[in-house]
This record gives sequence, structure tokens and C-alpha cells, in this order.
Amino acid sequence: MSSYESPVKNNGCACGAPSPYLPVRATIERTTRISETERFFVIKPSDPLLLDYAPGQFFMAGIAGFGEAPISVTSAPGRKETFELCIRSAGSLTNALHRLGKGDAILVRGPFGRGFDLDEMKGKDLLFVAGGIGIVPMRSLIKAVLGGKGYGRLTLVYGCKTPEEMLFKDELEEWKDSGVDVRLIIDTAYPGWKGPVGVVTTLIPDLEIREGNTLAVVIGPPVMYKFVIMSLDKKLLGPEDIFVSLERRMKCGLGKCGHCQINSAYVCQEGPVFKLSELKGMHEAF
Amino acid sequence: MADKLLKREDLGKLIGSVVGGGGVFVAPTIDARQVVFKPVTKAEEIVTDYIVARNSYKEYVFPQTEVVADYTIGKDGVDLRSRKVEPKETVIFGARPCEASSLSALRAVFTWDFIDEFYTKREDKTTVISVGCTKADEACFCTTVALSPETKTGSDIYLLETESGDYLAEAVTDKGRAFIKKHASVFGAAGGEKAKKLFIPEKIKGIDPGKVAEKLSDKGHYEDPVWAELTRKCIGCGACTFVCPTCHCFDITDEGTAFEGERRKNWDACQFDTFTLHASGHNPRDLQYKRWRNRFNCKFSFYPNKFSSKGCVGCGRCIRVCPVRLDITEVMEELSK
Repeated sequence: MSSYESPVKNNGCACGAPSPYLPVRATIERTTRISETERFFVIKPSDPLLLDYAPGQFFMAGIAGFGEAPISVTSAPGRKETFELCIRSAGSLTNALHRLGKGDAILVRGPFGRGFDLDEMKGKDLLFVAGGIGIVPMRSLIKAVLGGKGYGRLTLVYGCKTPEEMLFKDELEEWKDSGVDVRLIIDTAYPGWKGPVGVVTTLIPDLEIREGNTLAVVIGPPVMYKFVIMSLDKKLLGPEDIFVSLERRMKCGLGKCGHCQINSAYVCQEGPVFKLSELKGMHEAF
Repeated sequence: MADKLLKREDLGKLIGSVVGGGGVFVAPTIDARQVVFKPVTKAEEIVTDYIVARNSYKEYVFPQTEVVADYTIGKDGVDLRSRKVEPKETVIFGARPCEASSLSALRAVFTWDFIDEFYTKREDKTTVISVGCTKADEACFCTTVALSPETKTGSDIYLLETESGDYLAEAVTDKGRAFIKKHASVFGAAGGEKAKKLFIPEKIKGIDPGKVAEKLSDKGHYEDPVWAELTRKCIGCGACTFVCPTCHCFDITDEGTAFEGERRKNWDACQFDTFTLHASGHNPRDLQYKRWRNRFNCKFSFYPNKFSSKGCVGCGRCIRVCPVRLDITEVMEELSK
């Protein structure tokens, strides 16, 4: 009936039976607060099907009585027992999630959506541009790429409001050691910060980009995309060379409830990862 | 071919047989002085002198609120159990041919990719019996969206009122044929009864659906000031979405006490400002005209393109219910220029 062939069918998701609305029970193996507003969770699902996720996909995570929210997976794919989420406290559900501790139960559905196509990235230089908590889904992708072979030069440009909001600082160092060109920037001057100050786009002109052999991945707050895309355009990276991941309000994750719809696309199913060319003419994408 | 006759005096028998068998018989009836679709148990409750019921019958296949799971929170943790969907056999009597086309639009959404059995199982158990219209009001515009009182698609059984108040019946689908067979005692052979003349509303002059579709296919129209100008008066009440037979968006919420409760699917509306509001405070459709523009595009571009289904059936409910008299056909007309 549908003219659209979804890349993700019911397989790879434990949400087929008995109802796609019924979450899977999971246990929190470990949790740490990693910034003023972010908490990191290592989660062990009772159903191993949930571990079959790709970077860029997300879970609906929740607590009975509070509901669910879409949360990007932040761990590398291919793990045997647990996956990782990083959650910002922003409302009643996420505040309640922040009160959970080791051994507590969390309800999860997923993984949902279309993740990053790692095959397409093989052989290419990769430029990761992350703003704020855009680093959370980006971490899953970076780890997948670092764990694989056959990619070109790797560059991470990561901007935050303050150094304190910068997540995964230890890992940023590890990534540097693994050969990633990591460039960090904060919005406004801050005591102790010795790096550059400004918006993330200001770092892009200085990058050495091999035209025709580079793919860029952009994840950040909605306001960031337009400007980053303009800067990348000057580096001759066009709509076919840029991947973005879109944030949306979501309730079902199944392409039904309508909250994430932009034009004819359900972001929860057809995204959240899009090639920029797929978003041509979609005015509400950013 | 309308080769069967359902006598008005046998309606009670039909209702009795459906309800007696454990089913639900939904028909236009009076509630709070309005004609609405509601379950009835007696033929006297059914209204025949109406244009369309105020509500759409979609609530019997896609309830306004529906429990999908129950949870209890105890010392041993959380127990969350899925609700089984075991719908009763449901007959929708007195649907209009326009709205009968809406179920395929709903089904497209609830079955692409993941299958939502809370919808499909209900629809599978539903038989739609429509009655051709013998009158219309100024809000009716079925013919403008390529439907008419003669449209049979979507109905399982199509009825025509006769001069004497009985119904000539035609089975349209296998489901309809099976229903007539099952209730053979009330569906007799027709014998030359004369059907009342159907009222076919005129197409609205100045609306060219082809032109509307063409304009919407060019995304440049998004920046057209016409959207803000025409829809400025919208107050975002969402009434249009609730009465619309093809609107299908919903919210999922947990309702209960600290120890037990239900996870529910509740109707939601893209006209509400919180519908697309992110936790961060960002809202991709931050102004009312953008929400209205989205709904219009959803009806006439996004969904027809994505699912090849009808987004608008021309029933006119949104026009009748709108508190600020924002008329979807006026916007269609403007876009036809």
C-alpha cells in the first residue's frame, strides 16, 4: 500500500510482539552524572534483540507512570550485553530517569529508525561536526569507525556553550591518540579555556578538506545546521556529501503517531539520519 | 447492483441480531440535540434525516482513548502487560459515501512498516453500511475532491433510500456479501422499488484540485504569504482534527497512581503548539499558520503521495465545527489561482 520502502522492517527490533507499544525491561548496570545536565547509563536489556542497533538509531526509553522519550544510542554497535545512553534532564521523565541508579529497571523499546550507512563511509575522509549533545549519537558513530578499518582521515569539530558542557572529555583525548583530528570550541570566553572561542562554524574554513573524497556528518541543535551547511558548501561539500541526524518530538517510534512528521517523512522511521539531499525542499527540517 | 431490500421495519431485527450476537451497532442518533454516531440498541434511536453525523465514525476503529498496556509498580519492580485487542463485531450503519473512503487512509498509516493491531483488528471486525445522500449542506464538497454520494469504494454495503423509506442494498465487498448472507432474513429480494433521487452537490467553482496538487508539489509555496494571511484567525483548538475522518495522530501517555496505571493512546492534534515542541524548547512548527499549513499539506500532498490514499473526503465536518469559520475550501480556492 505504501509507496515508500522503509530501510528498517520489524526485524532488528524487539518490538514486534505482542505489541509494538510494549517496552522491554532492562536493568541499569552503571550510571554516572557526566555534566550538570547529562547522565550516562549502561543498560542491559532482557532481550538481546535490542543490542542489534546501528549508530544513529535511537531507543524509546521510559519509566512506567512517566512515559517515554526518544534517546539516541551512544555506544558502539556490536556489543554483547549492554548498550549506552546519555540523557539530558529536560522534563519530568528525564528528571525521573536521572534519579535511577545501578540495578534499577528502565523500560526500553527499539532500536528505531535509520542509522548511518557505514559502508558508504568506507574509503572516505570523515568530518564529524557536533554541537552540544549532538556528540551523544556522534560518539556511537566515531566508535564504530574507530573500531573498523578502511576509513580515510578522521576529523571531529565539537562545539559547546562552556567547557563544563563538553562531554566525554577523556574519550576525546583517546580519539586524538587514535589519530582523530579533534578540534574543540566554546561559545564564549570562559576561565581556564585556552582553545578557540566562537560558534562551531568558525573552525570549518581552516580545515583541509579533500573535495570529492570527504563525507561530513552534522549533529547538533536545530539552529546549527543551516550555518554549518553553508560553511561546508564553501568547502565544496554538497547535499550528497553531508549526513545529518534530526531531533524531533516522538511518541511511538513506529511511524504512526505523527509527532515527528516533516512533509512526507516520518523522522522516527525514515530518519533520524538523512543525507542532506533527501531533505531538499523540506522547510521544517531544521 | 442494488438487488436486495432492507425494510425500515426490519432495522430493529437487524440491530437485535447484531447486538444479540455480541456485536455493536453504531448509527446516527441524537445526543445532546446533535446527530452523532453512537451505539444503538433500538431502531427508534436511529435518525435518518441528517446530512452527516457531527463526529466521524473513526472513533469506533481508532478510539479517542485506548489502553495499550497496564502497569503495576511494586516491591519487585515494574510489571507492564500488553492489552489484548479483542474487538467486538461492529456495524457502522448510516455512514455517508464520502467518509467511507477514510478507512483505507487510516489503514495505510497503521499498517505501513509496523502493524498496529489495535487498529487493524478493530477495522477487520467492522462492517461499513453507507447510505447515499439525498441532501447536502453548504459545507459538503465531496464532488470537489472526486467523490460523490454515488461512491461505493470503502463501503461494505451501499444503501439507497426508497420513496417508502426502505433501503435498496448492494453488497460492495466480500465482507458486505457475507454480512447480507448472515442476515438473510432481513435482506430480501428487491422488486422494482424506486430509490429516492440522490443529491449530487455541485463542484465548487474556482477549485481545481490538480492545480492545488501542483502548487503543493513545489515546496516553494511554503514561503507564500497566503498561508499566514488565510489562516491567521485559527486559534489552534484542534476541533477540525478531532472530527476529521482521516486525521490519525495520537499521543501516548501514562495515566494512573504511583503504583498502577495504564499506558494509553490518546488522540492528539497537529494544531496544538506542543505537538512538535522539543524538550529543548525548540519548535519546528512554532506558529499557528505553520501548523495549519502542515495539516493542509498532509491532506492534499504528503499523505496522498506517500500512501496513495485520500487525505480529504470532502465531508465538510471541519468547516461546520470551526469556531472561527476557517474554511478549508477557501484555501483550496486560493491555491487554485
